[in-house]
Amino acid sequence: MIQCKTSKEIGGMGHSKKRKEDARFIQGKGNYVDDVKLPGMLHMDIVRSPYAYAKIKNIDASKALEIPGVIAVVTGKDLEQYNLHWMPTLMSDTQMVLPTDTVMYQAQEVCAVIATDRYAARDGKEAVRVDYEPMKPVMDPFKALDEEAPVLRSDKEGKEDNHIWHWEVGDKEKTDDVFENADITVSQQMHIPRIHVASIETCGCVAAYNKVENHLTMYMTTQAPHAIRTVIALVAGHVGLTEEKIRVISPDIGGGFGGKVPVYPGYVIAIAVSFLTGAPVKWVEDRSENLQADSFARDYHITAEMAGTKDGKIQATRFKVLADHGYTDASANPSKFPTGLFSIGTGSYDYGAAYMEADAVYTNKPPGGVAYRCSFRVTEAVHAIERLTDVFAREVGKDPAQLRMDNFIKKEQFPWPSPTGWLYDSGDYHAGLQKAMDAVGYDELREEQLRLRAEGKFMGIGISTFTEVVGAGPSKDFDILGVKMFDSAEIRVHPTGKAIARFGTKSQGQGHETTYAQIVAEELGIPMEHIQIEEGDTDTAPYGLGTYASRSTPTAGAAAAMAARKLRDKAKKIAAYLLEVSEQDLEWEPGKFFVKGAPEKSKTIQEIVFASYTNHPPGMEAGFEATHYYDPPNLTFPSGAYICVVDIDPETCAIKIRRFVAIDDCGNIINPMIVQGQVHGGLTQGLAPAMFEELIYDEAGNILNGTFMDYLVPTAVESPNWETGHTVTPAPHHPIGAKGVGESPTVGAPPAIVNAIVDAVSHLGIKHLEIPVTPYKLYKELKAVGYFDEE
Amino acid sequence: MNTKINKQFDIEQPIATVWASLANPEEIVTCVPGAAITEKVDDRNYKGEVVTKFGPIKAAYAGDIEIVELDESNYKMTLKGRGLDSKGKGSADMIMNGVLTEQDGKTHVDFTMDITIIGMLAQFGSRLINDVSDQLLNQFVDNFRNKLAGNEPTEGEADNSLNAGKLAGTVVKSMLGGMFKGGK
Repeated sequence: MIQCKTSKEIGGMGHSKKRKEDARFIQGKGNYVDDVKLPGMLHMDIVRSPYAYAKIKNIDASKALEIPGVIAVVTGKDLEQYNLHWMPTLMSDTQMVLPTDTVMYQAQEVCAVIATDRYAARDGKEAVRVDYEPMKPVMDPFKALDEEAPVLRSDKEGKEDNHIWHWEVGDKEKTDDVFENADITVSQQMHIPRIHVASIETCGCVAAYNKVENHLTMYMTTQAPHAIRTVIALVAGHVGLTEEKIRVISPDIGGGFGGKVPVYPGYVIAIAVSFLTGAPVKWVEDRSENLQADSFARDYHITAEMAGTKDGKIQATRFKVLADHGYTDASANPSKFPTGLFSIGTGSYDYGAAYMEADAVYTNKPPGGVAYRCSFRVTEAVHAIERLTDVFAREVGKDPAQLRMDNFIKKEQFPWPSPTGWLYDSGDYHAGLQKAMDAVGYDELREEQLRLRAEGKFMGIGISTFTEVVGAGPSKDFDILGVKMFDSAEIRVHPTGKAIARFGTKSQGQGHETTYAQIVAEELGIPMEHIQIEEGDTDTAPYGLGTYASRSTPTAGAAAAMAARKLRDKAKKIAAYLLEVSEQDLEWEPGKFFVKGAPEKSKTIQEIVFASYTNHPPGMEAGFEATHYYDPPNLTFPSGAYICVVDIDPETCAIKIRRFVAIDDCGNIINPMIVQGQVHGGLTQGLAPAMFEELIYDEAGNILNGTFMDYLVPTAVESPNWETGHTVTPAPHHPIGAKGVGESPTVGAPPAIVNAIVDAVSHLGIKHLEIPVTPYKLYKELKAVGYFDEE
Repeated sequence: MNTKINKQFDIEQPIATVWASLANPEEIVTCVPGAAITEKVDDRNYKGEVVTKFGPIKAAYAGDIEIVELDESNYKMTLKGRGLDSKGKGSADMIMNGVLTEQDGKTHVDFTMDITIIGMLAQFGSRLINDVSDQLLNQFVDNFRNKLAGNEPTEGEADNSLNAGKLAGTVVKSMLGGMFKGGK
């Protein structure tokens, strides 16, 4: 079990402390953007396009303006006067705030209705009449590259096709050579479908511009408040709004999952309207707007290939990706990584040749490409390698668990350089898989499977042994719009020994108010109950790049430890002064310094802090505060071994998950209960794309499941009993040895589930199933292989 | 979204009678639930509107109907319709091919509709469209039979409103009863 260095009262790392923030959440006392109500606040609603691709011939707002309470209808032409009709995306592409002449996807913003209350705004939206001239949309990313496909981004001078960028990594020549000479090669085409984060709270803001002060306060559903402040300053600088005059407040957030990283047009329109009217403007999306227009995730078409020996040694992999970005590249990746960290897709296996390439295309779909609970395209990569590994195992006739054991990077090989350029920090993949196999009873299950097959029953066992790459990131490689991806912590300890700590990150449900307090408690010995955590206000928090991609613990968590250590160093000096001994004679135990060999001579941290305000040593600065900006030397590489067992009804094709064992290794654990909660939620969000979720578009550009009626988000009813456990391999370069866990389960679960389903029907000749694997899809595959003919 | 609907039925009337009724848009529209012709542009072109409800979505389309083919000798017709949602929430296109054949003094009607729907209705109602369309067509067939049999409603108007009783048991609730007038 986890060893705790601190007492339960101090509540440092390893203690299952209840979440401090839950007191307000479970009592309905959270404070979300929609709870913000300001005097004289106007309300905004947005008219959206029914067409995926159309010219706007006319916008007639006259009927809307007749409605009592409606005060304005803002169009792209209005914004054009201030050069605010286009905005940059995080990937240096451009995105319309409001269109002046053409709409590029169904549900795109067309114009905004401003009213004195929300109902009038909605009525106004219904009353706006827009004349469109529909055009035939480009929906298929493969066809988007055809010669005859219309050039969607004709706004870009000289653009002659729908290709956005090409990316590649690895050694092509060496990899091709291995493939040419290998005993066995396998290839699998797969689609990681377009899905949506579908957070319970939709996106919204209250933009409050004060004309007298020339000051903007922006309450906003954002995972990265500081980055947003800088973006607003860059976009709105030309109208006189400079960064010191902008305050971004991200209050409580009801789930982000990457979907609250981008800047959506609604935010910008609200700012523009507030700037022009001088009144606060609230905009909050409804559910369907959120699902249909906000950034999607995934949508990678992958051809994955593996080469190896006939006894099952993996020698090389080759991935080719077609990325459907919608009408603009509005991904939320670090600037230098157009495919995010997809290159982690060589997996947990020891081989030296890999080559990956990707091309991105424009289509008439919503923009996006957010890192949905995954560190920038890691989910796509892990699905590809883990599905492919099973295809390879089947081809060489080896048990997928054994094949993985035979190919894992060994614990003593770390730090291990991957063929795509990563340096895996640490791991013990054999121990993780063995623990999962023991927990699930792997060998017995394989025997049972044979028995059941003889009876005509379908049961499958699926494995996923993944390596993640999180904690972006080291400044030499990682930036967003040029700002390096460090993160920050500032600790202020008050005279009575109680503290407030502020961070550049922003919790959306992760439990930072608890875990950060535990990190500070671990380092300073101040009880975590007495450490107040604040995030999300750019006027008070130190600059940071925000919370996504499992980066909070690896970056801001490390910053907290480092800042606390600065304070501990100061505490030691003060203790030496108070005890009249030299620093070398002092020893630390959580909560106090004592004299070596004379433990009764000691000073508690509270006494030391008090002295720092009342009796500080001559020549020393008074007070007890420290700030640290942590620039990680490497990313962290959490791993996991998941095993899923499914039973499938041979007649209805209903798929039931009988067991799901998840063994995670996220390094040192700060709060086991929060880790377990994170894993439960993440597994459910991994089950979602495996069996339920997909945003479906038809050829005419309609989204066919734009409501929760049709877009199937799994609930507790659909979720199996998740069995969790862990191995602990600390991150060697991280101050507290932690790696981050929020996203591992989302990343690792889908291939485990699909591998289990394929395994259940593999004896009938089925080698692959595309996600989401629904009973109907499985039925069609079984029918295609003639299964129902024999019945 | 695209959907194709085929409907075949027999009517106990001579083919010439059935054709006369079917080939006259102003007459046939009185049998179509929720539909009305608002203007006759010329012999081949009409303006009309359709109001219907798919689950939670009420859709009102106003648009043009064109008689593309009217082949009396072979009893074949092709209609093209294009409607815009009255609230700007999308559009619907339809091509209808109808053929009549004589069978033992009865008339066999075979028609196929290709419908393309764009916008709100496609987003929200896609699962319902086939079911609802089928219900509407059954109602149309009943109305049409009644009309040819001379069973005009007493008020002198064809009852071409959606019949809630017929739709009960499906996922759809009708709210259109009595709202529509037949074309005059």
